[in-house]
Amino acid sequence: MSRWRSVWLVARRELIERGRSRAFLLSLGLTMGIILAGIFLPSLIGGATGTNRLGIVGNPPPTFYAQLGVISAASNVKIQTEQVPDEATGEGDLRSGSLDGLLVVPSDGGLPTFVVKERKNGSLGQIVGASLSSGPSLTFRELTPADPNRDTSFLFANVGVILLFISIFTFGTWVLTGVVEEKQSRVVEVVLSTVDARDLLMGKVLGIGLLGLVQLVLMVVVGLGAGVAARRFTLPPATFGAVAQLFLWFGLGYALYSTALGVLGALASRMEEASNAASPVSFIAMGAYFFSLIVALDDPSGTAARIATFIPPVAPMVVPLRTALGAIEPWEVVVSAALTVATIWVLFVVGGRVYSGVILRTGGRIGLREAWRISRQ
Amino acid sequence: MLEIIDLAKRYGTVVALDGASFAATPGRLVGFLGPNGAGKTTAMRCVFGLVRPDRGETRWNGQPIDRTARLRFGYMPEQRGLYPRMRVADQLSYFAQHHGMTARDAKAATARWLERLGLADRARSKLEDLSHGNQQRVQLGAALVHDPELLVLDEPFSGLDPLGIATMSEILRERAAAGVGVLFSSHQLDLVEDICEDVVIIARGKIVAHGAIDELRAASARRHLDVEVVGAGGSWLDGRRDLTVVERRGDLVRLLVGADADLAGILAAASAAGTVRRFAFQPPALSELFMEVVQG
Repeated sequence: MSRWRSVWLVARRELIERGRSRAFLLSLGLTMGIILAGIFLPSLIGGATGTNRLGIVGNPPPTFYAQLGVISAASNVKIQTEQVPDEATGEGDLRSGSLDGLLVVPSDGGLPTFVVKERKNGSLGQIVGASLSSGPSLTFRELTPADPNRDTSFLFANVGVILLFISIFTFGTWVLTGVVEEKQSRVVEVVLSTVDARDLLMGKVLGIGLLGLVQLVLMVVVGLGAGVAARRFTLPPATFGAVAQLFLWFGLGYALYSTALGVLGALASRMEEASNAASPVSFIAMGAYFFSLIVALDDPSGTAARIATFIPPVAPMVVPLRTALGAIEPWEVVVSAALTVATIWVLFVVGGRVYSGVILRTGGRIGLREAWRISRQ
Repeated sequence: MLEIIDLAKRYGTVVALDGASFAATPGRLVGFLGPNGAGKTTAMRCVFGLVRPDRGETRWNGQPIDRTARLRFGYMPEQRGLYPRMRVADQLSYFAQHHGMTARDAKAATARWLERLGLADRARSKLEDLSHGNQQRVQLGAALVHDPELLVLDEPFSGLDPLGIATMSEILRERAAAGVGVLFSSHQLDLVEDICEDVVIIARGKIVAHGAIDELRAASARRHLDVEVVGAGGSWLDGRRDLTVVERRGDLVRLLVGADADLAGILAAASAAGTVRRFAFQPPALSELFMEVVQG
């Protein structure tokens, strides 16, 4: 029997047993719920309760107020209008947030302008535009004009890092607890009488990783689909590349972290010791996560972010983030991925040895130094 | 034939195996005996590659044991363990496939063994929902489901009730009769004497005795001599410094003598003291043999 069949048998068991477990279905349902709520709730809440304050400079056509009333009622958007003495006062109110939109109607009969703070509130502008439809058409202006895809990229980068962190860590932890469970229930000795320890670890990482990938694909498809359907964003042209990299870096990040966690799990004898044993890796993961969200998101082309790109434990979060923000060179992605793959390989060879050495040892947690000594026996 | 050749293994300063060699012949039940910490589990783990010996090797049918050979072995470790939340039938089928069976064969073998172990109605139950005794049966099933050529069982009788012991004995005898090699460790010496043909006794990492139980007993230099002289107690023994009394109960005296003891002389001395109701000369029981070789 080939080793690959052993690896696949182990992976398939993880897929089937965990795939139908309550824990997985619950986690899947919960994440889907959070994503859908995050996308649909703001527009529902905003539409139902929020009142849009529209400032008006000058005198709009006589039909404007009537039409505005009809259209806003029809689209379930509350609009409260107020007269503003001049454009400068109105822009000040926009910046302070006491106005959501400003309609400027020049007294010389020129084209009216609709001013917002930033491109966010699409419905107010559309309603104002529609209310003016019988008269002159409307030009739009933003106080802080930006790249039209900037907000979406920022959102993708943010959400991407969070999704990656959650996915890598959720499923990495499953590998950790799976290894400890096998050790604690002692079934591992039966399994190892036919399966090589390294193949067992590989199969476990593979099977749980496939489950993680299923969940990630569902999250991305549902998230993007719902976002487009709810008109929360339009997909920027870089979406495909960003999503492809999200999957790539989930694979690499998960393989890296779950292998490390699996090896550390073998050092524990009981579930109570598992999180203790895993703490070095948890610490690194948290560091990488906060670095990505705080430092790299703030300055994705900065020196710190560029250096972090080539540090394998950080790369799985920094690289997709920089990609989503369009702040990375293709060669950096390639080199970073190659470095991460090499690290996974080294970790697997070295960690696999440690895992084989200590997996049958029971009675208390084994220190890393002790584990290394045992694995050389 | 399973051959253990000159196995040695140290853990730091602890010597687990110190040049242990023995063989187990298929078709014969072999009991593997030794005090705690003598090296039984380490030797068994070496057969399955779970422990890499510092020296020596294990062979099956003349060939060094490798991964392929192990697929035809069945193992029951001392520390029992299966997947608690996995269904019983899925579990056995999983292990059968790890031994190289196709999914279809594994399923059929699982059904057959669950029937044989009286667990057919629990096939879809999770392991953790079974009683302790039934979990033990599933564990035995995991070692047997792929019809192995060699069974290695570490303390298969520990924790079993009399009914479980009977079932286990029956299955082991039946497997041996089918030509399978069966090696199991145990501390229940009377049980081993009852059901095994051969024993291997290990102490401090070395094999101190091995062979057919009957031959080992006969080869012992010592014999028990039970003598009962009506109404005489042990008075007839006074002055006989050459005889060691092991036990005295009323008129019955158990003596430890050499295999070449002067039986006629002893009988004459006993007869002179009164009516001899019992005079029995026999080789030591396995448990006595065990004490002898382990302490010697």
